[in-house]
Amino acid sequence: MTDIKQTDMEEITIATDVLVIGGGLAGVRAAAEIADLGYKVTLAEKSAALGGSQQNPGALFGLSAEEQRTVADTIQAVSAHAQVDVLTQTRVAAFAGVSGDFTVTLATAGDVRQQKVGAVVVAADFTLQPLNAAYGLSLSDGVVSQSQLDALLADKAAEARLGGKVVAFLVGFGQEGNPLVMKRVMKSVAALAAIEGCTVYVYVNNIKVAADSLEKLYMEGRSKGAIYFKLTEAPHVSPDGKAITYRDLVVRQDVELNPDLIVVEEALVADAENRQLAELLRIDQDAWNFLQSDNVHRFPIQTNREGVFVVGASRGIQDLPAVWTDAENTAMAVKGFLGNGTKRVPKGKAVVDNGKCTFCLTCYRCCPHGAIYWVAESNKAIISPVACQTCGICASECPMDAIQIGGFSDIELKAEFLGNLAGGAPRIVAFCCQNSAFEAGQMAAQFKMTLPAGLQMVKVPCAGKVDLDYILTALAEGADGVLVLTCHEGNCKSERGNTYASWRVEDAQRMLVEAGYEKDRLRFATLASNMGKEFSTLLLDMEARIKELGLSPLKN
Amino acid sequence: MIVAERKPFQEIKDMLKDAKKVLTVGCGTCVAVCLAGGSKEVGVLNAELKIARKLEGKPIELGAATVERQCDREFLAELDGVIDRYDAVVSMACGVGIQFLAERYPQIPVFPGVNTTFMGANQDVGWYEERCRGCGTCFLGITGGICPVTMCAKGLQNGPCGGTNNGSCEINQDQPCAWQAIYERLAKQGRLASIMAICPPTDWRNQIPRTIVQPGYAKRKQLLAK
Repeated sequence: MTDIKQTDMEEITIATDVLVIGGGLAGVRAAAEIADLGYKVTLAEKSAALGGSQQNPGALFGLSAEEQRTVADTIQAVSAHAQVDVLTQTRVAAFAGVSGDFTVTLATAGDVRQQKVGAVVVAADFTLQPLNAAYGLSLSDGVVSQSQLDALLADKAAEARLGGKVVAFLVGFGQEGNPLVMKRVMKSVAALAAIEGCTVYVYVNNIKVAADSLEKLYMEGRSKGAIYFKLTEAPHVSPDGKAITYRDLVVRQDVELNPDLIVVEEALVADAENRQLAELLRIDQDAWNFLQSDNVHRFPIQTNREGVFVVGASRGIQDLPAVWTDAENTAMAVKGFLGNGTKRVPKGKAVVDNGKCTFCLTCYRCCPHGAIYWVAESNKAIISPVACQTCGICASECPMDAIQIGGFSDIELKAEFLGNLAGGAPRIVAFCCQNSAFEAGQMAAQFKMTLPAGLQMVKVPCAGKVDLDYILTALAEGADGVLVLTCHEGNCKSERGNTYASWRVEDAQRMLVEAGYEKDRLRFATLASNMGKEFSTLLLDMEARIKELGLSPLKN
Repeated sequence: MIVAERKPFQEIKDMLKDAKKVLTVGCGTCVAVCLAGGSKEVGVLNAELKIARKLEGKPIELGAATVERQCDREFLAELDGVIDRYDAVVSMACGVGIQFLAERYPQIPVFPGVNTTFMGANQDVGWYEERCRGCGTCFLGITGGICPVTMCAKGLQNGPCGGTNNGSCEINQDQPCAWQAIYERLAKQGRLASIMAICPPTDWRNQIPRTIVQPGYAKRKQLLAK
């Protein structure tokens, strides 16, 4: 989204070593792929061995024998790779620096080491959470979790004990679930149904089969005699797990069955340490602590920080083929980012005036891309041209106006919106994010939709660049109305630019009221780039409101 | 850091009701860091004043300047000559800066743009919490690094009082008891003995403005006095 008028470029050198955090399936594969591209990789795994939870025989997420071999081969290859330094029982203790020049402190039992890396790949694992509480059950001999059943089935002797037993699965009522949860259930359903005399009932909500070969797996269980009760609400389960009752809609009566064993579903939740890791690495999380925010611009494996990638379970990706794809994509993205260690970046993307900077850390704390840092020698904020996405949130938050964005300096922008405030038609200054509202406005103009005669669109790199001072000054100097138009929620390329803009509009409205002015002269709205019609409607509505209020009494 | 907050707009406007040419002076250190009185806030206040006064039919002419620190005469000197063009000044600095500015330009009314509130820490952008009252007799060494003068509602130097209530203060359930926190921290460090000694009370009577001359500079002060 960089839109810099100057074409001056500079060359900077970055570190090319890579840190992979997490030695599960995703981590080992990513490490192998990245090392194969010639980069030196440090693979830090918190447990004592590589492979993660999915290698555990009791918790195999349905890996085929061939897939298991591939995993084992990859672990072998990574361990023997000359370019990979495998550190087990190792955690990230501290993390500093900026994209292309991170300093990471790794703590291995009794030993701490610091190293420079250019990029980081986070490959955390899932944690399994049994959902027995959702059914009012406690785990016992008669009530087991999916993982416990997996372990049971892996043990041949225990399998024999299941002959002649009635096993009931409860799935899809404790959570909406997903194909991987369903796959685990259906695999064990098929295995149990194959045991002589074992009766299998599955109480299920939505049967998630939208993945490779799951329909076949479902049919396999059915053909072996497993019975599915597809219900819309959870059956009633007695607290001791001895009776399951559900309303049968065909026979129109309650049906009670008495299982010998109940298997409750498990949720795949984010690693408990994700939150801590996110804070350390300064990357966003979603509501479930997976390490990508719910933002449509976060393409697979990308985070809000350049050079920090998330793969597999750390971002909620489940089955092995998808994890493999993530790992491969990451290797390519790492190569794309690190290259040969020399990057050409535009000069003057965002410039800090060291004379004005008071080193208050506001910019550092507000930057959604983790692009701002400092070094002890300077004691001033430094903006990395590699990581900066030129959203301008920092510039508008800086209490000393010490930051200027290339092509969008305060002087240039003020000249633009203050230059044309006189005239008969209501002058409406619309600050438009270049990623959404500005496009929508151009579309409206191109398609000859009706727009206010006195409309002045001011293109900003992100609504986060719209300064409180711009809004108030435009109105103070005689703009009849001001609009701040941003991307929709969850749609800001800079994550929070639209949020900052909405806060500032609220603050400015409060101030307008304090000053005795009409707050309706200022409006905030969200738009997408294809909403030309809505842009037109919004602007005409604003113009109509301005006409009701009358022209600005503040014109010079 | 000294933390301040912008005065209510109405109050500032009332102070300036007779002024026609006003210079708003920001301060580039503490109040800039706490987002109350840096050059950004100067611009915002001026825009707000401009709108209000135009609406009242009493337009005001506004100037803006931000100096590094209003508590240093060398930085204030930047305003010499400039300030005479105005009939009033709003200082966005802490109470120290405001007074130092007013002292340098006694002929011009200087009005405070902020309320100076406390010495505090920065929890997050725009979020500050008081930690020190500047009592002049720091005994954080024996209280596990928690200041009861600031954090205890009674400012007790020997606590807790009878109002400690399961970790809360008697004034408010949401207010932690400072002495409970002190006890817990010292217990963790195995230093409980340090609060058994009675701390002599601070003499708050007859307080006059304090002056500090750092030991190495006493002679320099004597020279300046001559």
